[in-house]
Amino acid sequence: MNKEKKPISKTKEKTSIAQKKEDRYGWLFISPYLIFFTVFTGIPFVIAIVMSFLNVKYITRLDNLKFVGLQNFIKIFTNKEILNSLLRTFQYSLVYVPVIMILGFVLAFMLNNGIYMKKAMRSLVFMPYVSNMVAVAVIFKVLLGNNSPMIIALRNMGFNPPLLLQSLKLALPTVAMISVWKSVGLNMVVYLGALQEVPSELLEAAQIDGATKWQRIRNIIIPMISPTTFFLLISSIIGSFQNFTCIQALTEGGPGQATTVMAVNIVRTAFTKYETSLASAMAFVMFVIVMIVTLIQWRGQKKWVNY
Amino acid sequence: MKSKKKSIKIALTVFILLIGLASNFPFLFMISSSFKVSGEVMKFPWHLIPDNPTIMNFKALFTNGIYNFQKWYFNTVVMTALTIAIKIFFVSFTAYGFARIKFRGKDAIFLVLLSAMMIPSDIMIIPRYMIFKNLHILDSMWALILPSCVDVYFVFLLRQSFISIPDSISEAAKIDGCSHLKIYWKIIFPLAKPAIATMALFSFTWSWNDYMGPYLYISTMDKQMLSVGVKLFSSGLIQDYGAQMAAATVVLLPILVAFLFCQKFFIEGVASSGVKG
Repeated sequence: MNKEKKPISKTKEKTSIAQKKEDRYGWLFISPYLIFFTVFTGIPFVIAIVMSFLNVKYITRLDNLKFVGLQNFIKIFTNKEILNSLLRTFQYSLVYVPVIMILGFVLAFMLNNGIYMKKAMRSLVFMPYVSNMVAVAVIFKVLLGNNSPMIIALRNMGFNPPLLLQSLKLALPTVAMISVWKSVGLNMVVYLGALQEVPSELLEAAQIDGATKWQRIRNIIIPMISPTTFFLLISSIIGSFQNFTCIQALTEGGPGQATTVMAVNIVRTAFTKYETSLASAMAFVMFVIVMIVTLIQWRGQKKWVNY
Repeated sequence: MKSKKKSIKIALTVFILLIGLASNFPFLFMISSSFKVSGEVMKFPWHLIPDNPTIMNFKALFTNGIYNFQKWYFNTVVMTALTIAIKIFFVSFTAYGFARIKFRGKDAIFLVLLSAMMIPSDIMIIPRYMIFKNLHILDSMWALILPSCVDVYFVFLLRQSFISIPDSISEAAKIDGCSHLKIYWKIIFPLAKPAIATMALFSFTWSWNDYMGPYLYISTMDKQMLSVGVKLFSSGLIQDYGAQMAAATVVLLPILVAFLFCQKFFIEGVASSGVKG
């Protein structure tokens, strides 16, 4: 219709009409998703940030709203209980991240180095990844509990094994290790994919030049797979902060407060203590920490990641 | 030299096998214990094969008067099935838009979606509660289904897989007068079936295993899901180890079986999805 009115060259017009059609189709295809995304991710994100600066108590009561500035954040950084749970989140990450990174790589490396029944072995290690954390927690609580056959066996041998999940000191690292057990398969598989892409000519050439096995790992393999390491590192750190299910299923934050990490504390603050705004502010602090960690990694990657 | 290499290979295989068996021991313990009477579960020395195998624990699970286990099971099956069904179409439809249509504003929007992947889900839990309440889907399975359809991760992965399908295929269809809808449904969707299968399987495990969602957003007992149910059940019957193990078994079994039969999609789906920075 517009064809005759607009005095533009014919070819240009054609592309612009085609482009308009593409635009319409493009938006047709993505707008349902965008609506859902806005409702379930975009708006909640904005609400979460706004709420951190308000004084909402009781999640569904929104009367008497007041802007309280940084009060919630001041409370977080002066409240010992909250600071301790933040510290525990870091302690958890300090166990979880290095172990899962190293173990994932070592397992992938061994698998890649030529073993029999490679695929079956790979599946065996990957299996816990798909399991249900709550059901797994039921098993581990029995296995690590007081009457477990394993504990009795150790006792009969003259040891005095600690009850890992009930110990104030050991509960947190134990939960982190169970979490590693569950997720290491994914890291391994991703690493395996990366290792298979390392060109074998490169390794052979190095071998001919007299590089030892260790030198080949250090100077060829590790630099070659550094983008994967970078990706896994970031996702493992983020994963280690989101440990609510694992901890709630295994210890519910106990014994005492020994495993009450931020994620558990946020849910408790919001849904048991009904301090909605404070919980939002705590979640916001976690978000900022994730951002900072990611940014530091992003800037640091130039030094060690080779693309 | 060659025999030395072979012996290293065998040693490595045995070593990995031991690790694999050790990491699956909890599952063996669980299945074995679920067929034991409660007193035998903790008996020492421990036997893999029960002395007197019994299915009593499973019977008790589905016929006890306190916990409505079959209802939880049913809810979880329906919720998971709906999630997968909706997600397959919803996510692939969106991914098609991002992969194969060149419209203005596409890259900017995609970037926003990608950066949203970095947002930890913890920050969403409280506002989502409010939104579910306002949409009147709080305390229903839709509060679990709908948000999980907004899965940026799989939009990203399916987009990758759609992009890798050669343009020439859809060009030909376009010349023949096919619209994007038809190209999506008749050409791209069927060709990307392996990637879609990977998504379906991962969605299955995530929905089936989700604990936080039902724990926070579902309050009516009869609408509850298995993950929360098993937790209630095991803390209610703290001394009945056999029953606890039976409960864990019925929760884990479907997912472990699905994994055993579809390992290829699980593992190669992850490996080939090209996590290359």
